[in-house]
Amino acid sequence: MAREALLIQTLVDLADSLVEDYDVIDVLSLLGDRCVQTLDVAEAGVMLAAPDNALQVVASSSETMRSLELFQLQANEGPCVDCFRSGLPIVNIALAVDDGRWPLFTTKAMAQGIRSVHSLPMRLRGRTIGALNMFRTAAGAMREDDVVVAQALADVATIAILQHEVAADAQLLNSQLSQALNSRIIIEQAKGKVSESAGIDMDDAFQLLRSHARNHNVRLTILCRDIAEGNASARSLDSFPQRQG
Amino acid sequence: MSSVERYFRILEHLADVPSDDLWAQHLGEVCATVTRTSGAAIMILSGSLVSGSWCTTDATSRLIEDLQFTFGEGPCVEAHMLGKPVLEPDLADPEVRRWPAFTPPVLAAGARAIFGFPVRIGAARLGALNLYRDAPGRLDAEQHADALVLADMAARAILAVQADAPPDELAAELEAGANFHLEVHQAAGMVAVQADCSVVEALVRLRGYAFRNDRSIADVAEDVVRRHLTFTMPEATGS
Repeated sequence: MAREALLIQTLVDLADSLVEDYDVIDVLSLLGDRCVQTLDVAEAGVMLAAPDNALQVVASSSETMRSLELFQLQANEGPCVDCFRSGLPIVNIALAVDDGRWPLFTTKAMAQGIRSVHSLPMRLRGRTIGALNMFRTAAGAMREDDVVVAQALADVATIAILQHEVAADAQLLNSQLSQALNSRIIIEQAKGKVSESAGIDMDDAFQLLRSHARNHNVRLTILCRDIAEGNASARSLDSFPQRQG
Repeated sequence: MSSVERYFRILEHLADVPSDDLWAQHLGEVCATVTRTSGAAIMILSGSLVSGSWCTTDATSRLIEDLQFTFGEGPCVEAHMLGKPVLEPDLADPEVRRWPAFTPPVLAAGARAIFGFPVRIGAARLGALNLYRDAPGRLDAEQHADALVLADMAARAILAVQADAPPDELAAELEAGANFHLEVHQAAGMVAVQADCSVVEALVRLRGYAFRNDRSIADVAEDVVRRHLTFTMPEATGS
């Protein structure tokens, strides 16, 4: 596939992940792989910040890349780390052992044949969630339009990830909503049972349930569930009125 | 029209809310206005069960909601289950015959076209937006696109409102103006005692009684709660 076609396809694939359910790791692996295929870079990888803001390696184009990314986290130095911390691109840095910038990382990377490093922030609305990292085996600068393309891919991936977060929150909130609705229904069912068994109205039935729950230190929903499901009898409630006949 | 323009246009309508208490009602009215339909309602479902309506704009949309609650069938229920819009441009002469219990009373109330749009965010399914019109005909592309945006906004609104509620409790803003058919569940509790059955069975009986007597389950429940109707085994008797 021609480079442009592959790039467009990549953008479409990433954009698809905005609307479909997908796996974050898959999206980021796709991002890394397509960078290597379409841009003049030898390796690519993505780091993302965990909720505690600690970086984690989530995708790498090869085992070499993976070990170099992990090494940066252990040594707490390197282009990805700086890019994430500053939120600014760090591109076209030719590695040199004696420039003192990232002494541990530089030695390790050069031993793997890496000559220049490029790291782009994954940012949206002032929040940096990670970095896209690309390594070259040639010392020269990345083509300017390659940098633009890489940043565009990183931006779409960022939106996809944040969208996924919203969806995950929605999932949790939805189950809480179901739970709340269900609790509400159970309480009404229990009120109905108590009201009918005791021959009292709904408000009085509710008071009976509430005071029993309070006296016995059980949650109202739990007590109501037991009554509604027939695991406890309305007659066993404190101050259940004794009916005539 | 671009989707951004569409969002902004709809947001302008929404910003016109008369009072914060009437927010859900206003959202329903905006749904009907923007899509140029006769009425709208937003149904909340939990799993495959209809929990109730967050808002309705008129008597017909209320009936459409109540019938779906009573019979567990209709465009909203189906849109929610399938996760995609369910469109019926002519209820009187449908391409697919469906909803046998739901359709006749809806037609009798004057609705001719009916549309259900799932209200959801990603895999989180919350319910459905219902639109109806008193004349047959399809929604055009603009109306359809507006309905999708409105359903999306409804989903976000429901979650935003519920997000502030204490665990295990419904947000007050969600309950205000909403109809979660609480009386039906009270009645189910009463019937369970009267007929010595489970509350699930009691609900089935209430539903069956409503169907056979051509009444809404809410009406039947009201009679039970007011002690005008008792269920004994095996059949219900009025008193």
